[in-house]
Amino acid sequence: MSSLMKNIIRFVLLLLLQVFVLNKVLIHEFVNPYLYLLFVLLLPFSMPRAALLLCGLLMGLTLDMFMNTPGMHAAACVLIAFLRPFIINLLAPQGGFDLTQKDPSVTTMGWVPFTVYATILVLVHHIAYFALEVYGFSNPLYFVLKTLLSAAVSLGLILVFEMLFAVRPGK
Amino acid sequence: MRNLIIFIRRYFNFFLFLVIEIFCLVLVFRNNNYQRATVLNSANRVTAGLYKKYNAIQYYFHLKAINDSLAVENDRLRNQLLRDFRTADTLADQVKEISDTAGRRKYLYMPARVVNNSVNTLVNYITIERGSEEGVTPNMAVISATGVAGIVRSVSDHYAVAISLLNKDSRISARLTRTGNFGSVRWNGRNPRYGTLTDIPRNVKVYKNDSVVTSGYSTIFPEGLLIGYVEGFTEQKSSNFHTIRIRFATDFYRLQYVSVIRNLMSEEQKKLEASVPHE
Repeated sequence: MSSLMKNIIRFVLLLLLQVFVLNKVLIHEFVNPYLYLLFVLLLPFSMPRAALLLCGLLMGLTLDMFMNTPGMHAAACVLIAFLRPFIINLLAPQGGFDLTQKDPSVTTMGWVPFTVYATILVLVHHIAYFALEVYGFSNPLYFVLKTLLSAAVSLGLILVFEMLFAVRPGK
Repeated sequence: MRNLIIFIRRYFNFFLFLVIEIFCLVLVFRNNNYQRATVLNSANRVTAGLYKKYNAIQYYFHLKAINDSLAVENDRLRNQLLRDFRTADTLADQVKEISDTAGRRKYLYMPARVVNNSVNTLVNYITIERGSEEGVTPNMAVISATGVAGIVRSVSDHYAVAISLLNKDSRISARLTRTGNFGSVRWNGRNPRYGTLTDIPRNVKVYKNDSVVTSGYSTIFPEGLLIGYVEGFTEQKSSNFHTIRIRFATDFYRLQYVSVIRNLMSEEQKKLEASVPHE
């Protein structure tokens, strides 16, 4: 399957999962997991930075349309799309990641680097998004709790998603 | 000039990022204005259409609860019928006469299906299937069978998005039934079942389970619609006002049918109020 096709399918799948499953399941008032940002995390290594930004914008705006939050998810998504290459460079071993497999995943990066990569970007995304959401609502504890708990659940879901769908090295 | 071009090309990605980010933030903060483009919200054809499909499935699981709430509402309305009240003959005639001569419709109720509704963020919206072609315009009231639900914010041809009572920006002018004091109802962003009533002076005695209704001061809500019940209150020594916790009458978890209320005289009232010069 071509990389383009795979990413389009991933886009649609994650969007539907976010809008019709995760947004409908009420876990707790402090927990709103956002799994859709995995789309940005899993875009190919070789993608130009400008294209990454535009992909992030597209994903964010589409979700914003569903959630009536114009610009909020888009802003957070574009931010992580911008930071992504820097984090990958930081985590890359000598000589860069094995580019025979094109997407970041637990198999191409290893469990620990991928978890670190996902943790940083999920935290940045959640901080940016919830800061915009609670803007004008003075309750710092609410913001901190909501960000941390939601980020923890999102990260857990991302790792589960990776365990389910990551290509194993043997194949 | 050449150096400038080289500079921009070198940092092209960073500038692109800035431009896109600023574009997003403009969208976010323009959202604070009352009117918004309908392209970017869940009233557009694609998003509302998908939500409608999803709702068609979800609808069946709520049928029992919907039937119950409609039956309760029917009985509540029947209990308000004039013919069920026994009055002295002369008085009944007077009432009839008054309603015949001075009666003029002020509020029109229109039913609508809820196709999407969220309760889990700080800014919740209700998408309903009734739009400008069916007579919905922004700033109309949205109520459920049991109580106030929200205010219409933007409209497309066949759908409308209402700002839910569960929104950090919503303020609804309210009145305590027993004492008649006015305050405003807001939501604290936590539990979708509870809200707060503020601006009630501390010298007012507040009764538990007293009903909180709309005040009728705005042109949006008719007077006396149920918002919720007093659950409890805290007395802060430093403040001159009570902070009253209220239990919403509307069950936002399963909102399937709402009524949109059109105020037929709002134009007149607004025009009159605008004509009075402000200091």
